[in-house]
Amino acid sequence: MAALLTAAGSDYSWEMVSAPLTTVANEDAWIRRAQRSDARAFEALYRLHVGKVYGLCLRMTGNVSEAEDCTQEAFIQAWNKMMKFRGDSAFSTWLHRIAVNTVLGRIRKSKREQDRVQAVNDVYTTRLDTGDSGELRDLAEAVDRLPERARHVFVLHAVYGYSHDEAAAMLGIATGTSKAQLHRARRLLAQQLEGQGFEA
Amino acid sequence: MTKEFDDKLDRTAQQLATEISPERDLWPGIAEAIAAPKRSRWTPMLAQAAAVVLLVGASSAVTYIATKDSSGPVVSVAPELVFEQAAFGGNYHLGPGFQDARNSLRDDLDIELARLSDAAREDVQANLELIHQAIIEINKALEQEPDNVLLQQKLLQAYREELTLLRRVGGLTRDVMRRNDI
Repeated sequence: MAALLTAAGSDYSWEMVSAPLTTVANEDAWIRRAQRSDARAFEALYRLHVGKVYGLCLRMTGNVSEAEDCTQEAFIQAWNKMMKFRGDSAFSTWLHRIAVNTVLGRIRKSKREQDRVQAVNDVYTTRLDTGDSGELRDLAEAVDRLPERARHVFVLHAVYGYSHDEAAAMLGIATGTSKAQLHRARRLLAQQLEGQGFEA
Repeated sequence: MTKEFDDKLDRTAQQLATEISPERDLWPGIAEAIAAPKRSRWTPMLAQAAAVVLLVGASSAVTYIATKDSSGPVVSVAPELVFEQAAFGGNYHLGPGFQDARNSLRDDLDIELARLSDAAREDVQANLELIHQAIIEINKALEQEPDNVLLQQKLLQAYREELTLLRRVGGLTRDVMRRNDI
């Protein structure tokens, strides 16, 4: 059970509803309403997808406050681009693309302000809590320590299941580069994890 | 690193949570941003401009018909296209640099149009007609509100678009229109 905002005609109410049925039935209606600048319908879409978007942002940035900012920025971008969503892909995939672009955009910006950001991170970085435990937690932390590009490819391909073509398109790199970065990520993860008893 | 290790890595990676709830509700910040003045700030201005244009729209057709015979230089370049004398409301005029460029381009327009395919020619004519209609409507609105900056900007933009389209048709690349030309 999940708390979701449900739409009935033009009225909205908070209810405890069964997530799968409600989401499938209402998402299209919420999208259409949000495309007509209905902020309450957009809030319903936010409630439905925030976990996926925040999860991706958190895996890609490895930083709680960055992930929160990215998530907010991604949804604001989505609101501004709602009219451009044509339904060619799932709404969640469309949101993921926006989130990836947001993360990459923030990284480019942060590189220009690297010293300041690093100083802030040194003081305020919060340990990410992804809810993983045991080997999963070891892997999550090892992924967090990967170099940026390798981490992004690994998260999109290995964790979220995007193909190399899809991941490459999202990241603005060649498919071959995506494959090379995945190989690099695996090699670096092996170095980190094999010493921690993570064995085949 | 072995294939077995890679396989286990892939299996484990697929078990990592893909949906994670943020520790705090991020919606209030989003709600504030999407309700920010950026969207609403322009709405009253655009609505005001649209209202002005609509208000004078009805009378503009009559005014146009009543004045077209005595409105000076009206050059017919194609059955569907009529060029109005370039003007910028009652208080402003387009400079000689722009006028010369416009005159030169429109003189060549028939020749250039004849070189285009039927479909392309129709597209160009339809677009020019659209721009001309906009120019006429905005000009009339400016006569009612000569100091309306938004309308002035819209009219300048329409003239720019007309010039750009004429240049494209003529294959010319000179950049002759400047803000100082007004």
